[in-house]
Amino acid sequence: MSRYEVNVLLYRLKKDSAFRRRFRDDAHGALSGAELTDEEREAFVTWDTLRLNELGGSLHLLISIPGLGEH
Amino acid sequence: MGKVVYAAAMSHVLFPDYYGKNVGPHGRRMVEELIAVVREMGRDMVAARPDALVVIADDHLNVFSFDAIPAMCVRIGRSVQRMVQEDAIEFDQALDGLPLRYLLHEDLANRILEEGMEAGFDFAASWSAPLDHAFLSPVSTLCDTQPVPPLVPFWVNCFVSPQPTARRCYAAGRHIARVVGDGPWRVAVIATGGLSHFPELSLARVGTSDAAFDRRLIALMEKGDHETLCALTTKELDLTGSHEYLNWLVLMGAVGAARARVRFFGEMGRVDLAAVEWATA
Repeated sequence: MSRYEVNVLLYRLKKDSAFRRRFRDDAHGALSGAELTDEEREAFVTWDTLRLNELGGSLHLLISIPGLGEH
Repeated sequence: MGKVVYAAAMSHVLFPDYYGKNVGPHGRRMVEELIAVVREMGRDMVAARPDALVVIADDHLNVFSFDAIPAMCVRIGRSVQRMVQEDAIEFDQALDGLPLRYLLHEDLANRILEEGMEAGFDFAASWSAPLDHAFLSPVSTLCDTQPVPPLVPFWVNCFVSPQPTARRCYAAGRHIARVVGDGPWRVAVIATGGLSHFPELSLARVGTSDAAFDRRLIALMEKGDHETLCALTTKELDLTGSHEYLNWLVLMGAVGAARARVRFFGEMGRVDLAAVEWATA
């Protein structure tokens, strides 16, 4: 499990509005360079926050990404 | 000789709209009651005429990223900015009307950092970290219309494992007390956050708290049983959603063997809210 990679991406989604727009328009493309397992990539693409949290994604990042963080 | 002239700890999401939306009228009412109590406490703090206000709080991954998370960090420099983030989460949006910049108490911050290194505390230092709601909601509520004293922001890593232990946090507070005692300043110290919420940092468990655990913490603080509190394990704090209690442990180290006076305790369900003072005579 690449906890670091998952959280670096979540942090970027929170802080980088251009990346966030790109992710919303084309999640597969936005994640193309990321070193993720298939399971992690699928959780990002389907925006399955419960699964991302189970895979090591920080709760505080997941709930604070503008437009995507719901709690 | 310096002195801790005021010491308190309190929950730090002091934003009625957030609880109104996520909990309902009961949540809104409870946090409004807490805010009124914190304002009263602030009058006591201001009356103590502090030269500096040490604020012990945590980062919600607003400031530090997974590239480097300090176990504890002292904010140094001359001033500090309020965090500004486009489309920030609700309780950081609540900071929008507050001043953008706050003075730091540079000498006290430097002493805590430098004497800490000599005493075996490898604190990180930051010249640029801004302050989020964990710092500024309590500070702005306490100070209300009065000027904010020069700040010494002190971060504890409450959320990214491995966190510092309860006992280590308490020891850091003892260090802060020694530095204050050796200096010339009157110092107020507050810790923020809690009580129980977000158990296990699990998204599936958001909306639940452990009120029984919080009642136990309150009783131990009232009794002044710091040894039992220092023996709390990281696992216990995680399971009960008491991650931010590490900030309170730093504060209790700073006040020593005093018993707490509970000014507010409310069980909301989503989070338990509290405000507590310690005598500093």
